[in-house]
Amino acid sequence: MMIKLAIALLFTGVAGSLSAAPLGLPPVPIPENNPQTAAKIALGDKLFHDARFSADGKVSCSTCHSQAKAFTDNLPVSKGFNGLTGTRNAPTVINAAYMKTLFWDGREPDLEGQSKQPPINPVEGGLPDHKPLLAVIRKDRDYVRAFRGVFGVAADAISMDHVAMAIASFERTIVAGDSPFDRYYYAGDKKAMTAAQIRGLAIFTGKGRCVSCHTIEQTQALFTDNRFHNIGIGFKKIHGREAQTAEQFLRAKRKGADVDVTVLTKQTMSELGRFAVTENITQVGAFKTPTLRNVDKTEPYMHDGSLATLEEVVDFYNNGGRVKETDPVSGFLSGGIRPLGLSKGEKKDLVKYMEALTSPDLERFTKR
Amino acid sequence: MHDNSRRKFLKQGGALLAAGTLSISVVELAFGKGSEDRFTFAYISDSHITQIKGNRFVRNWDRGLIRAVAEANLLDPRPDFVFYGGDIAQLGKPEEIDHGLEMLAGLRGKVHYVMGEHDYYLDLGDYWRKQLGPDHYSFDHKGVHFVVLNSILTHENWMHRKWDSGMDRMKQMARLDNPNGQPFMVGDTQRDWLKKDLEKVSKNTPIVVFSHSPLQKIYKGWNFWTDDAEQVQALLKPFDKVTVLYGHVHQIQTNQIGNISFQSAMATAWPWPYPATYKQQASYMPKLTVDMNRADPFFERDATGWQFIDVHSGRVDVNYLLPDNTNRTVAFDEKAGHPVDTKYQAEVNRIPPQKHY
Amino acid sequence: MTYRKTYRTLLAAASMLMVVQTAPVQADEFSDEDLARWQQEYLSVVGQGDKLFHGGLSSKNTVSCDQCHPNAANTHPETYPKFQRQLGRVVALWEMINWCIQNPLESELLAADDPRMIALQAYIVEERRGAVLEPGKH
Repeated sequence: MMIKLAIALLFTGVAGSLSAAPLGLPPVPIPENNPQTAAKIALGDKLFHDARFSADGKVSCSTCHSQAKAFTDNLPVSKGFNGLTGTRNAPTVINAAYMKTLFWDGREPDLEGQSKQPPINPVEGGLPDHKPLLAVIRKDRDYVRAFRGVFGVAADAISMDHVAMAIASFERTIVAGDSPFDRYYYAGDKKAMTAAQIRGLAIFTGKGRCVSCHTIEQTQALFTDNRFHNIGIGFKKIHGREAQTAEQFLRAKRKGADVDVTVLTKQTMSELGRFAVTENITQVGAFKTPTLRNVDKTEPYMHDGSLATLEEVVDFYNNGGRVKETDPVSGFLSGGIRPLGLSKGEKKDLVKYMEALTSPDLERFTKR
Repeated sequence: MHDNSRRKFLKQGGALLAAGTLSISVVELAFGKGSEDRFTFAYISDSHITQIKGNRFVRNWDRGLIRAVAEANLLDPRPDFVFYGGDIAQLGKPEEIDHGLEMLAGLRGKVHYVMGEHDYYLDLGDYWRKQLGPDHYSFDHKGVHFVVLNSILTHENWMHRKWDSGMDRMKQMARLDNPNGQPFMVGDTQRDWLKKDLEKVSKNTPIVVFSHSPLQKIYKGWNFWTDDAEQVQALLKPFDKVTVLYGHVHQIQTNQIGNISFQSAMATAWPWPYPATYKQQASYMPKLTVDMNRADPFFERDATGWQFIDVHSGRVDVNYLLPDNTNRTVAFDEKAGHPVDTKYQAEVNRIPPQKHY
Repeated sequence: MTYRKTYRTLLAAASMLMVVQTAPVQADEFSDEDLARWQQEYLSVVGQGDKLFHGGLSSKNTVSCDQCHPNAANTHPETYPKFQRQLGRVVALWEMINWCIQNPLESELLAADDPRMIALQAYIVEERRGAVLEPGKH
């Protein structure tokens, strides 16, 4: 059964530029210059799990995006080589294929670009550059054969672009919809959600204002608007020092500092969010809206992993972007964030609803 | 080449944030004089701080002003000063003016204020003047003559009618689409003052005028209008370079009438529709306007914002900082002889949200 | 306020017609007098909507509809039903009005058949009269 499903996925990829979409999701967008093929996906799968692409030989993509943990690491912030930690929480790969930008600050436009960064980040893969990674591949007979088959290149012509394309192709097969919510909302199965979850959905699209950013549409739901918002997370780290932090960051950037490295290694500069990429001062502290699909399996939450449970998340929003009601409010706070006045029962229902966003077939990813 | 000179200026000025935030693709202008005359200021307007009761204020409007202040404080190099374009308050209450000023006190640097009708009609500007001083004045800064006018006065007999209360009068004026509304005007006294003030100024001195209402006639029904606009324009006509900056309209407007460039400010509170979207009445539209993007009401700050002004050789470039939207730059184009939107001016460059209907 | 002028014009036209048509109209189920009266009935509700729109809802935070929508401009009643992404589905005009009541006005939702909701819609559509129906348009 599982194998059948996998084969179906692979072949829909081969057949056209769009894969068949699970209930509640649109077709997966496939870039024209990187069509899906079964061999490329299999190669990407292998690369994704190869720990040799790191300074200590222990860190692969799957270290922080573990299949057993819904393609996250369930840690507040990710652990790289030698146990070094960065500043940001690992988002799930599931449905990342739909994202219009990658990373919390959207600093890469696609999965291909994203996959190149972690191996050479000083708190992730820790490699000085891509050369050691390519050296491993070129010496590996299986890889050489696979790259020749997929891209028609000889060993010494294998480039990081090829590696990135294969990994991205694999990631475009990690797609999951068909959750109880999808069956309730899009397939008319009124028993797919519990009464509490149905009440929670009403809060989600109404009083809770969640749907403003975590979009649901008439025939599909990505649960993200692909935009950037300052919701108040992490601002305490630079509160009152926003100008100095921004200035320090820009000075470093003008002198050639790499954005990817800076935001993952500097606690304060990390909190500049989207600003670090665009230098647009209306985007200080703004981070990308993550999808909420499978959110019950991807704890902890927020760009810094600072909220441990969905209950904490709901409290945070209910307090208008504050952990505690007595906390100060960020001056840069998105206009959409305000105290919601949800009752205890409403908050519970909202959490129950989010539990209905878990896809039933997540195990298929773990049984390789 | 033009781009380079701008980059050079920004670099020399140590302009970190400005350089990054604002479109570098601005059509750069040949400098008559050196770049030492170049300076910047921030321009914030229309916060409409509203008291609900006691110390409770409408949060949405508070947040708009707080955010503009927080963002303006990031500008590097520091702007020489800040202009506040009027309507701090919604109903002119001392509590509202004080609460607004409390938030504006967070700004680094000097703030100049313009009187708005929402600040005025409760007590005919008494409390505002007590806190902020005269409502019309002028000053010189780095070779530019700045003039501030109170353009939201109206007929004396209406202002001094036997009102039940000042609040009664205020509420009449606060309603934008009031069918019994009264037109704004600068009035004889201020025009006489302006005439005298300008006598001392040489004709090649650049002039920047601040008013709350547009010193041009757009749509009387919403008081996008100043009744004696032509008379004020006539006083400004002899000067080589004149820019009028105004608030009140809560939207982007751009115009050029003879020697006078007109540019409006966004509100920090909420956006207003363009008058042409009201089907039942005819209105004018400042002809160079590239409409602001239509607001998405679901992001409360969308289609609100504030401005960062770049003054060089006496010309004014307005950079619109628009949260949840794309920033805009409307810069004076020396060749065209009027301000242009540096990205969207050509019809082919317009995007769907700029279509208002 | 122009709808009131329209109403006066209509009444005048109707009364003129009645002078000319002295004989009762047989074939029709309603007369010009009926038309004028029904128009008046309608406009009375428009007038209620006007008041509600301009502060008459007594919202909890004092904010009123006309603050963002003078003369109900930029409400586009002719484009409903349409997809509203922040409500997550295709909605009717009254649901969008309710969104505004709940959010900028921070007040309690009105029922679809609440006379106030009917009146608000009457005022909004009246101010947009003459617009071509363009359902779904953004």
